[in-house]
Amino acid sequence: MSLRLQPIQVATGDADQESQLVFHDGFLVAVLVRLSHEYEDEAGKWYLEVGFGRVNTATPPTFTDLGEAQGWIEQRLTRAA
Amino acid sequence: MSRLACGRAREIMTDSKREAAGNPLLRKLEGFVPLPEADRAALLKISENPQVVSAGTDLIREGEPPDGMFLILDGFACRYKLRENGARQIMAYLVPGDAGDVDGPLLRAMDHSICTLSACKVARIAPDTIWNLLQRPAVAAALRKSTLVDEATLREWLLNVGRRSAPERLAHLFCELHLRLRAVGRADENGFELPITQYDLADTTGQTSVHVNRSLRELRERGLIKLRQRHLTILDLPGLRQFAEFKSGYLHLGDQAAA
Repeated sequence: MSLRLQPIQVATGDADQESQLVFHDGFLVAVLVRLSHEYEDEAGKWYLEVGFGRVNTATPPTFTDLGEAQGWIEQRLTRAA
Repeated sequence: MSRLACGRAREIMTDSKREAAGNPLLRKLEGFVPLPEADRAALLKISENPQVVSAGTDLIREGEPPDGMFLILDGFACRYKLRENGARQIMAYLVPGDAGDVDGPLLRAMDHSICTLSACKVARIAPDTIWNLLQRPAVAAALRKSTLVDEATLREWLLNVGRRSAPERLAHLFCELHLRLRAVGRADENGFELPITQYDLADTTGQTSVHVNRSLRELRERGLIKLRQRHLTILDLPGLRQFAEFKSGYLHLGDQAAA
């Protein structure tokens, strides 16, 4: 399964600058936001700002890096298939 | 000698009054219903020997048989349920003066868990003691009214998670806690100790700690509150209430709500 990332800026209202759109087969499946220093123990982690379709969840997780985030997204797409 | 005895009597009376004034259960229930002296004494007695319980301790778990009632005399506890994936939803806070269900022992098993969020002083009230208390009409009325307020509060929390934005949810919760804690002498005009984490606030308001962080920042930037070292300072109470559309009627605090 291949995911495509595209850098983007998301208006979260704080210093989070580095974000990524995540596409699968041309469809937008998630938006990941890197948490700024304001988040203390979670600073630098990637947050699932929103997931679409099978990636949607009521309890959005945080990930230590983009690799872990993509692994989780792939698992969701596969598991629900 | 008689002067000494008199002095002692006065001291004892002062201590007793101080004890009553500081007892959050008494303050809460007297806010609902005037209590005769004998009822006050009975309520003080059940609060006499609380246990100190550390933060994050389950007082009773879902599925266990309710054996009496927990009374919180200090600290914050909560009612919660867990999903299989570990996600937690907090359905109620038990703050000083709050107790579990008076009629809980009628049920075979708990349908939710109760745990401490901070270090707490907790008194466990045995079923027999509850039954005896309920024979006192004023106490029974106050406890029943308290149960009605718990139900009204749950409805308000349902509205919170279902129909308010993330910052509005927190603002509403802070307005509510301010009044509830003031009613038992644990808050002043400008704020209160909030001995819980952002994760607890997230699980209370149905959002992630990331959104709690952003919401707190928004409330701060609007000049409404400041949360530092687990102390919530209310910078603009009318503004906070207006932002949250907070109407205190559901707490049924009467004149205390105007404070």
